Amino acid sequence: MEKALRVIQEITRQGIIKAYAIGGGIAATYYIEPLLTYDLDIFFIPAKEGLDVLTPIYDYAREHGFDIQPESILIEGFPVQFIPAYNDIVREAVEKAATLKYHEVEARVVTAEYLAAIALETGRAKDRERVIRLLEEAEIDRAVLRKILKAFGLSEKFKKLEKRINEE
Amino acid sequence: MKNRAAEEIFRKKRRRRRRLANLPFERKIEIVVELQKMASPIRKDPRHVIWPI
Repeated sequence: MEKALRVIQEITRQGIIKAYAIGGGIAATYYIEPLLTYDLDIFFIPAKEGLDVLTPIYDYAREHGFDIQPESILIEGFPVQFIPAYNDIVREAVEKAATLKYHEVEARVVTAEYLAAIALETGRAKDRERVIRLLEEAEIDRAVLRKILKAFGLSEKFKKLEKRINEE
Repeated sequence: MKNRAAEEIFRKKRRRRRRLANLPFERKIEIVVELQKMASPIRKDPRHVIWPI
């Protein structure tokens, strides 16, 4: 995983992408109980907006001999999935990411508050479960979370989820 | 009326989850790999690679 994180750093340093943050199951695992996951999800802001924002990353991967899979790039056997910031909340989550340390490598990671908000917005059963886990296990700053939810019109959705949790 | 024994089990589960949540990130990644190994005979999918950490 260290090698994969270093490659992502290098892709950013070379300006192939503007910014990145780890999201998905690994970001969740950083804050809560470890989850079964198979990809390292990387949300990124492209260097240039356009239709094919993945091409420069895949070109880099090919040049460096990494195995390209249908959904991910294998960096020394480690599957990395690059996901362009697909809406405003993900974009802001990347811009305001925190820093984690894995052995000697530093990497950007979506904060617990943005992770909860993104999961709430996505809204599948496993995402709702993730919000609940984050609320129970992570050190969530409720004031920050409320601010994010308000900014992205998710306050009502959150109230409904909280109501359901309290009823159970 | 809620069952006290069940409540006690849930309370202990929550405590265990919080303990796991506080593990160092490196240890958590080792646990993810252990989970992948445990799941591989059940969820046979060529896309699911066990991480070489």
